[in-house]
Amino acid sequence: MNPDCGRLTLHGVSTLVALMTGSVVIGTGSAWSAPITFNTALPVAKNEFLVREQFIINRSSDDPISLNRDRTAKAAVSVLGYGVNGKLALFGVLPYRDNELKLTVAGQRIKRSASGFGDLTVFGRYTVVQRDQPGRNFRIAPFAGIKAPTGDDDKRDATGVLPPSVQVGSGSWDPLLGVVSTYQTLDYQIDGQISYQINNEANNFEAGDVARLDGSLQYRLWPRTLGGGVPAFFYGVIEANLIYQQKNQVNSQSNPDSGGTRLFLTPGIQYVTRRWIAETAIQVPVVQNLNGDALENDYIARVSVRFNF
Amino acid sequence: MKKVMAAVMLSMIWSAVTVAAGTEYRMRVDGLACPYCAYGIEKKLKEIEGVGKIDVDLNAGLVIVDVAEGTSLTEPQMKTLFQDAGFTYRSMTEKSLDESAKHE
Repeated sequence: MNPDCGRLTLHGVSTLVALMTGSVVIGTGSAWSAPITFNTALPVAKNEFLVREQFIINRSSDDPISLNRDRTAKAAVSVLGYGVNGKLALFGVLPYRDNELKLTVAGQRIKRSASGFGDLTVFGRYTVVQRDQPGRNFRIAPFAGIKAPTGDDDKRDATGVLPPSVQVGSGSWDPLLGVVSTYQTLDYQIDGQISYQINNEANNFEAGDVARLDGSLQYRLWPRTLGGGVPAFFYGVIEANLIYQQKNQVNSQSNPDSGGTRLFLTPGIQYVTRRWIAETAIQVPVVQNLNGDALENDYIARVSVRFNF
Repeated sequence: MKKVMAAVMLSMIWSAVTVAAGTEYRMRVDGLACPYCAYGIEKKLKEIEGVGKIDVDLNAGLVIVDVAEGTSLTEPQMKTLFQDAGFTYRSMTEKSLDESAKHE
């Protein structure tokens, strides 16, 4: 194997891992009518549980160099939320990952892949501002947590140890923090979130820190007119995700082919009942200002269901 | 057979009397804005012994609860209940289910 190819694989694609990880961590929030790609400030009732299962496919194949890298990262992300009281909620997020990277080395197409449970993230969210009015509410809720290195980060294949872009775990303890705000009415809901994840070193590799700014509008399409009772709502959803990542470090050296800025526009739909929510969305990259030869995203598709217990 | 029929009839009349002797509470709650809100509130109310029918009207911001005779809901109790669910209790009116039945 050409060592340069290994370096490019390691450096160029690893950005995606961090982006995907950040996306999974932040994008698995509460089970209200809520954003699909990130969290909400809406409450989890005291002593109540909610569960969310989200399926994600992240495709990246537009390689600017001759390696023709083609990466598919699939994840089934399980989220458990618990309401400590009306203001404090705790969340646990555990992804099952299936990562595959194909690339051309010395004229030969090779495939490297790994699957298994990824890193567990736990975080708490506390509502600091709550303004309730008839048929509407406004909330601001900071959150903080940590991603624990529970997933394997030393998987191997016949070629040797897999690069970070293919491993299912990062090997590092990575804290995250942010603030989410929600304005919800009977007709529509607006959410906004700013967050930061500090990625630490493991196995001589340190993914760049990730900063995100997310926005979401959910608009009730059906029923057009509200009557009495509690009808199910069908929402049209449009979200925007601005994601900036610092360059990765390999052996304490900054990697010029990593990090950068991405902006996704994310159309979606959501069906909300009293007990469950079903939703789907696709994140389309509209701006990818990446460093060096970093691999660009094609799309990220999401399907999820949420349940109240 | 006649005895069985009589017992069933008596049982039905007794049930109707029991419900009719209860109370209907109409609570104004702020912050309710989606179907998912309703479930957590219904679940918390059902934990109270004697609570029967629960109706949530999202558009009106109302939670309507029927309770059996001998059960009463208090303002402090409802304030805490809705606070725990993440919403804001505003006010409550009550009337006898007998009275409600007369108006229907």
